[in-house]
Order: sequence, then structure tokens, then C-alpha cells
Amino acid sequence: MTMTPISRTVELDPNRNVPGIRRPGFSDTLRAEWIKFWTVRSTQWSVATLFVMGAGLTVLVCWAAAGELASETADEAAAAFVTWGLMLAQIAAVVLGAMVVTSEYGTGMIRATLAATPSRGAVLAAKALVLTTTLFVVGTATAFAGYFGGNPFLENEGVGVALSDDGVLRAMVGSGLYMAGLGLFAAAVGLLVRHTAAALSIVLGLVFVVGNMVFLLPGAWGEWIGKLMPGNAGSAVSSAASFNPMLLDPWVGYAVFIGEVAVVLLAGYLVLRSRDA
Amino acid sequence: MIVASGLTKTYGSKTAVDGISFTVEPGRVTGFLGPNGAGKSTTMRMVLGLDRPTAGSVTVNGRRYADSPAPLREVGALLEAKAVHPGRSARNHLRWLAATNGIPVGRVDEVLDLVGLTEVARQRVGKFSLGMGQRLGIAVALLGDPRVVVLDEPVNGLDPEGIRWVRNLARRLAAEGRTVFVSSHLMSEMALTADHLVVIGRGRVLADCSMSDFIAEHAASYVLVRSPQRGEVADVLRRHGLDVAVHEDDELRVQGLDAPSIGELVGKNGLYLHELTLVRSSLEDAFMTLTADSVEYHAATPAGIAR
Repeated sequence: MTMTPISRTVELDPNRNVPGIRRPGFSDTLRAEWIKFWTVRSTQWSVATLFVMGAGLTVLVCWAAAGELASETADEAAAAFVTWGLMLAQIAAVVLGAMVVTSEYGTGMIRATLAATPSRGAVLAAKALVLTTTLFVVGTATAFAGYFGGNPFLENEGVGVALSDDGVLRAMVGSGLYMAGLGLFAAAVGLLVRHTAAALSIVLGLVFVVGNMVFLLPGAWGEWIGKLMPGNAGSAVSSAASFNPMLLDPWVGYAVFIGEVAVVLLAGYLVLRSRDA
Repeated sequence: MIVASGLTKTYGSKTAVDGISFTVEPGRVTGFLGPNGAGKSTTMRMVLGLDRPTAGSVTVNGRRYADSPAPLREVGALLEAKAVHPGRSARNHLRWLAATNGIPVGRVDEVLDLVGLTEVARQRVGKFSLGMGQRLGIAVALLGDPRVVVLDEPVNGLDPEGIRWVRNLARRLAAEGRTVFVSSHLMSEMALTADHLVVIGRGRVLADCSMSDFIAEHAASYVLVRSPQRGEVADVLRRHGLDVAVHEDDELRVQGLDAPSIGELVGKNGLYLHELTLVRSSLEDAFMTLTADSVEYHAATPAGIAR
């Protein structure tokens, strides 16, 4: 007599619904990235630095320059000074943006991240959302704090700027927008180079050094390259009146900047998706 | 259950994993053994969908890891201990991981307790010793109460007490019916932990068998016999169908019967024995012999040093 072998295991559909286990979705990825973001000191330091430098330096400069701005020899618009500190605070936004990505590669934690959430697009989207939301809120709050702290010094000298003045409110929100864009730009570069120092050097070099030097190039094409550099195109939206007359209009410049960020981010995403972790 | 078939990974012209196929069954500890650079970690990264295979495939519970709806609840993995941000506390590290797969925070404290890190849960991981880091890695692996547990070199950096703890944990997880896949480059450790062995060297499977089969096959043993009547003793033993090899001086190496029986056999024939010893080559030796050709970097043995 032949025995029919009895299979010892029961075949289960691997895609079955296991009771009690909720299929995690994007909100879970987002929550995880939010926890991850706020539980390292570098985030707290960067955010604090952004606020203190951005608001503090604006107040300091308004206090120091108020008299000069009120004098007859003044050749700068007082409105340009109410977001002055953001020019330096943007360094903190770049650091924060780069670290969000590169610290994962530096520590090897990216493997834990991608093992927990295999969808790399979801990980990147969650990171980007946490980073840009934070930088937008902090950047805007910093701009308002600088305005309310610095403007009284200008008012004392009779050169105060009202929120209803042309471009002032836009500069407040624009500061948040520019910080968010800049952070995202640094994060995208971080995805490409996977190294903190390299990402910081590239972004800070591009924004602060190369961005200013290209204006020295001769002719109309030099001027256009200058206008289109990410730091130059994006920053106009963050000030009510610019120190640099060569810049594009605020919203046109910001659109160009966001386009540039999008291209680098797309490249970063393709690298994240295709390369081994 | 983990099933790899024809799994291959090449980096440029270098082949790290060369078409390996194996199955890791539930309910037992499967040791994944090989010298450093044999391709163990690369294989494990492919199991977890971190590295993309150049060819072949690997599935966990019947599907690709990345297709799992909640991977941490299905597969728990200890990767290199340093896959942690040193500035984050152990508890926060587990908190964000739990959040990714919708695991309740209560489970975080549970696994911290399980691995004995409750007291240092709020300390920054950067201050942890190697052993504490490994315990945190194991807490990560157990976070989702997974059916499949993958541990890459779990005893690295652990003290003897910690090593025994990992060994017992692996055995207990397997006894609960889970699939346990443990890599190591230490044969001696695997001999105590694993029920089944997959040995790889230079990216190829060298052995895939039960631990007892491996011992029987590779850890050769023989009985060393010395006698002033060497020739007669050899004849007696050969007549009983035993395998007798004559070695230098008066040494006979006998296989096929245990030492007491050989002693009795020789005694019955009225012959003298000067020595009767069971010699067993260690599993470590067996492993070394098996992988000798596949070790990536040999330490040079200076000539003239007595061994």
C-alpha cells in the first residue's frame, strides 16, 4: 500500500490579512521621520541657531544702522534690513537639510531605515515633508521675531517699516519659504554625495561663494548666470528690498530656485532608488 | 522561511555572492558560516532588500522582503551594530523604528526589558559598549515580534555571559517555531547554537546540511593505537574489517570501531598495547579545511617556525 505523504505545513497566502496587524502607511513613515528628526541634538542646535542668528542679528543690525539709515547719506532701503539676519541664518538651514540625509549614511542607520520602510520614495517624501515644514515655520517665525525686535529701532529714527508696506509681509513668509527650499536643496545634494562635509561644502560654496563670484563674469551671460544661481534666485523672496539690484523678481526667482531644487531632488531620488543602501 | 535561489551579487568584476541557493526552515537555528569576506553580510543585505541581487532571487515567507506589508512584524534583523545614530537614545531609536510599522510604544519598553537595557534606555547610544550596542541591535530585531529573525554576527563584542544569552535566545526563538538565521565566522559558536549549517566561502555554498551530519562528515575521528607488536595488531584489526593506516614509528590509526572495543579485540588475541587514544579533529579544523581555499586573505606563515 502506498502512503500519500501528508504535508506538514499549511500553505498560507503571504498577502493574507493578519488580524491585529494594521498595514502601515505613509502617516507611519511620516511619524517615524518626525521622531527621528527631533531626537538628535543637531536638529535642536540647528533650529536654535537659525532662530537666534536670524532674529538676533536682524535686531542688532537694525539697532546699529538705524541712525545711518535715517541720515541724508543713506543709500540703502530700510526695508532691506528687517530680514538681514536671515542671510546668515540660512547656513543653519543648509546644515539641517544636509544632516537629515547624510547623518543616516555616516552612521549606517540608512539600512535600518530602509529595512523598516522598503519604499524608498515614501522615506524621502516623509523626510522632505518634515524638513520643509519645520524650516518654513521656523524661518517665518524667525523673520517675524527679527521684524518685531528690530523695527522699533528704525521707527525711533523715523524710518520704520510697516507690515503693510510693499513686500514686507511677503518677505516674512518668503524667509520661511527660502529656508525650506534651501534645506531641501542641501538634503538633495546629501542624497547624491552621502557625506556631510561634502554636501555642506558643495551647497555653501554654491550659495555663498560661487553665487557671488559669477557676478564678476563679464557681459550679459555672466549677469544671467548670476541671476540663476540657486542662492541668488531663491533669496530675493526673503527680503522686502534687496541689497543686490541684479536679482530676479522675488516670485520669478523663487520659481526658478524651486525648479533647480526639484531637479537635484529628482536626481537624488533616482540615486536613492537604484543604489544599494 | 527564507529561500534563496541562484542569488548572485557582483561589484564590478568582483563576485561577492556567486549563485547561491539555500533554504532556511522554521523551527530551527540555521547557522550561516563562512570566513570574513565570504559574502555573508552581502547575502543578508539582499535578504532584507537593501542590496539588489545581480541575478537570482531571495524570498521571505514566500515573497520579496520589500513586498511585505509590515516588514518589521515579519522579519527582524540585527544588522551591523553601528546602524544607529550615536546621538540618539536607545529608547528613541526603538521608538522611531516602532512608528514605521505601527508597532505600539509599549512594545519598545518590552524589548528593552527583554535585552536588559531598561536602565540605560535614555542614554545616548554613542556611550554604549560594543556589547550594549549588540543588545540594542537584538532589541531592534525582536521589536515586531517577527516570525523570521536574521542575526548578522550577533556575538561580536559580547562577553561570555552575553554570548550564552544570545545562544539561548536563538534556541528559544527557534523552539517557538520561528525561522532563525544566524551568521558567524566562528565554527565553535555555531556548533553550540545551530541545528543546521549553511557554509559559504568565496560566495559559494560549500556545505548545506544538519549540524550532526556536518560533524559526522567533517570532524574525522580515529583511534590511535601503539603496540610493540604493531604488525600482528594491524593484522588482527584488518581481519575484523577495520580501516588501519600505519603512520610514522609505531603508530596505527584505526577507524570503524570505538577505543574500548579495539582494546578488547587486541586483548583477546593476546597482544600488548602501549597506547589507545580516541583522536577527534575539532570542528574548527574541519571548517578551516573546508574553507581553506576560499579565505580571502591568509596570514603568512613565516618559514622555520615550528608548528
